[in-house]
Amino acid sequence: MGLKNNLHNLKEKYKGTKMAPAFNAIHTFLYLPNETTHNGTHIKVADDLKRTMNTVIMALVPCLIFGIFNAGYQHHAAINAAKGIATEVSLMGNFLTWDNFVIGAWTVLPLVIVSYVVGLAVEFVFAVIKGHEVEEGYLVTGMLVPLIVPIDTPLWMLAVAVIFGVVIGKEVFGGTGMNILNPALTIRAFLFFAYPTWMSGDKVWVHGAKAMEGQPDAISGETILGSLAQNQTVAYDWTDMFFGFIPGSVGETSALLILLGGLFLIFSKIGSWRIMLSSVLGAVVMGLIFNGVVDAGWISESSKFYGLMSTDFWMHLLIGGFAFGTVYMATDPVTASQTNKGKWIYGFLIGFISIMIRVFNPAYPEGVMLAILLMNVFAPTIDHYVVQGNVKRRMKRLKLKTA
Amino acid sequence: MIEHIELFFKSIFIDNMVFAVFLGMCSYLAVSKKVATAVGLGAAVIFVLAITVPLNWLLDQYLLQPGALKWLGAEYADYDLSFLSFIMFIATIATMVQLVEIVVEKFSPSLYNSLGIFLPLIAVNCAILGGSLFMQAREIETLGLALNYGVSSGIGWFLAILAIAAIREKIRYSNVPAPLRGLGITFIITGLMGIGFLSFGGMLTGGDEEEAPKEGEPTSQVETIETETETVVELANNTKIIE
Repeated sequence: MGLKNNLHNLKEKYKGTKMAPAFNAIHTFLYLPNETTHNGTHIKVADDLKRTMNTVIMALVPCLIFGIFNAGYQHHAAINAAKGIATEVSLMGNFLTWDNFVIGAWTVLPLVIVSYVVGLAVEFVFAVIKGHEVEEGYLVTGMLVPLIVPIDTPLWMLAVAVIFGVVIGKEVFGGTGMNILNPALTIRAFLFFAYPTWMSGDKVWVHGAKAMEGQPDAISGETILGSLAQNQTVAYDWTDMFFGFIPGSVGETSALLILLGGLFLIFSKIGSWRIMLSSVLGAVVMGLIFNGVVDAGWISESSKFYGLMSTDFWMHLLIGGFAFGTVYMATDPVTASQTNKGKWIYGFLIGFISIMIRVFNPAYPEGVMLAILLMNVFAPTIDHYVVQGNVKRRMKRLKLKTA
Repeated sequence: MIEHIELFFKSIFIDNMVFAVFLGMCSYLAVSKKVATAVGLGAAVIFVLAITVPLNWLLDQYLLQPGALKWLGAEYADYDLSFLSFIMFIATIATMVQLVEIVVEKFSPSLYNSLGIFLPLIAVNCAILGGSLFMQAREIETLGLALNYGVSSGIGWFLAILAIAAIREKIRYSNVPAPLRGLGITFIITGLMGIGFLSFGGMLTGGDEEEAPKEGEPTSQVETIETETETVVELANNTKIIE
């Protein structure tokens, strides 16, 4: 218990000074505090903010590990493809290899480290200036950010975006729990609109593609959504999409692991099943509408929208970041709707709008990020009307009773 | 029919009055403290836009456009009164706002009181004049489309003020840093909401026929700026010569 005692002593030493929150934060992060309540407790719960955040991170870790292996795998697959060799995936043969892990770890772990160091530094600075305790809010955001960016995002870019996201997206509203937009998505959106060449196209999804651009052995890897938007055929079948052996942002590819993570979040009651379910419903409805349009023959194969519109509705759930966004970001308890009825509406519209943006907006091949941001904007409005509706209904009931 | 639907969604989401062209900001920022008031003002803006845009369309078609006076006789065919558009549009708008004010005062005194000075100020709300001027600049073809454009850009403005009012009610108890309280945080929220609305930017472009490339607009702007600077330089030279 040497470290704990040392930290405790430091905490006592800096008590009342400006730096106190910083030491308190390190102490609380690593250990349970020594202090206990002196009077009788009224409510006993174990799921404080720290545990909530850790649960989500636990659900994210499989995606991170898979993302590391997939980064290496896609790198080798793209090099082979440039030589004209098609790669057939086999889990033990060429996926879970030490080589893949090393390549992936060298590219993914720096993203994780930069995201945490920069983000937590901003949090610490704000806590010290404003004189409150450091809040655990950045723990999940810091893990989400590296998982939703393309693998070769330059680290300084990520650092700039993280500072923007944490300061403008969260701290100006008063810190954790007060923000309007999901901070991870704010960071992603900032990157997307500020450095578009690094966030889309066929050069950013595979490690090394940007560096080798223009060379004779140049490699490339297009996401499925990207090729569909250009009406090209897709070389992956649905099992690849489901297990995640496809190019894409670091952690978004494996629908299976995201599904497991989602079930874990539902089981531990951290994530709202209402939002997840209704969002999937919304996506299915929109996908069926588009499939219907294609079946009715209202749209010809020459149309720009044909590739994405004719994609089977269930395929939309597997490709791109839809599953990841639905499970980990739409369910963010701060920015989502707070009321149960509101959650159904909120989730449904996220699914509906994200497929709509995917199909109709050639500028953005991926719609989930923007759909969630848009619904974050409207979540307070939805809540307001749900609450007002409840108030009105109860007033009516009250009048009936008194009359 | 299809162009009606397209114009409707385009003017609500893609060319949103607040988030795409940043018009009507003064009342948007000032009257968005409570949802109920915001709804009232938003409805008033929809109403005024729905009346003024078609009216101004008629004015534009039969009075102001170059050659609009043809119906008076052949000798008037080459008259161009478009320099009068601003004053005519404003006159229509002011009249209509007076009408709305009388109606609101009569039927909903509480809303009239909560809107306060901002109801007569709709007359100088740039979203309203902007609606008419965009209608003129985009050469909207029929009266029906003009009505559609008025209503739908009004709905876009209504959605924007509704969303920000709900957000401001939500963050009322947030610990916002003191220098940012009030308008500062509202501006930041508006910017973040603009990012949310960017999801619709560029939507519906493409499709079956290729649209004209949009690169022309920025370059032409640059050119005008250049010519302006040239004239300024010329003027400066002139004054020097006079000295």
